[in-house]
Amino acid sequence: MAALVRISSVCHRGVSPLLFRSSSLIRPLAVQKKDRDCPYSISAKIHATPSNYAGSGSKAASLHWTGERILSIVLLGLAPVAYYYPGPAVDYTLAAALTLHGHWGLGQVLTDYVHGDFKIKMANAGLFLLSTVTFAGLCYFNYHDVGICKAVALLWSK
Amino acid sequence: MLLTTVARQGLCSSRLQFGVLYRHAVPMGTTAKEEMNKFWTKNTRLNRPVSPHVSIYKWSVPMMMSISHRGTGVALSSGISAFALAALVLPESYPYYLDLIHSMSFGPQFLAFSKFALAFPVAYHTFNGIRHLIWDLGKGFRIPEVYRSGYIVIALTVVTSIGLAAM
Repeated sequence: MAALVRISSVCHRGVSPLLFRSSSLIRPLAVQKKDRDCPYSISAKIHATPSNYAGSGSKAASLHWTGERILSIVLLGLAPVAYYYPGPAVDYTLAAALTLHGHWGLGQVLTDYVHGDFKIKMANAGLFLLSTVTFAGLCYFNYHDVGICKAVALLWSK
Repeated sequence: MLLTTVARQGLCSSRLQFGVLYRHAVPMGTTAKEEMNKFWTKNTRLNRPVSPHVSIYKWSVPMMMSISHRGTGVALSSGISAFALAALVLPESYPYYLDLIHSMSFGPQFLAFSKFALAFPVAYHTFNGIRHLIWDLGKGFRIPEVYRSGYIVIALTVVTSIGLAAM
């Protein structure tokens, strides 16, 4: 009754009922009813990647997301450390964390607003160049000049 | 009651039958990225206009805070990159240039204001960033909670920026 209606509604909307795969709403009778109502195959409308499907996609995007969050938390923790324990170790860690956080953040901005294969490639190349120069510049500053922590302290001392 | 019993029986055998149904399904051959690209190339090729969105939708505090988070992020990142570039290009050392700026004898208000102007985006991006991390944990999505956390971020930002500018 309700289950039959739900299955037949798939034929009109093409929404994957596979989300309900393990729900009690799907009944064997429903399959035959569907065949009567919809002569065409339902396979074209199904788009689902259940977790038990063998290696049909990579976890790269998901891992990237997690990496972004972990880096954010690391950067958050670096702030008090930089205040209480300034020095070269914190300077270089700060340089790396800030650059990478900015690189990934700007990467998301580009993904949102830049479209088209070539433009995306060019924009990402430009970003990579910018981030490399930024990191190089910060490391140079840490090595040849006063360093990030000291720089902030000097800026604020006046 | 009869329906529940029948349904429960249906559940046991439905898995097998439904497995058969699923075997007719083919996985999509394209990734989400590829599909988005197809969307954009087709629509730009046809020169279709984009529906007005930001120009017609009523602005809300969460909307403004969201774009401000992005705006402060881009601004801070650009500032850091500019600083790094200057470090590579400029001949003199940092203390030299700092003394140069101080010798220009701007008033104390100017110094306090510029400290505030530097601290404000850092504080805002940091506090709103924490708000984002809390959302990533799955908490605080109800609309009243979104507004409440937003106002707390704004308040903390102002207080922290004033405090830092006074240091």
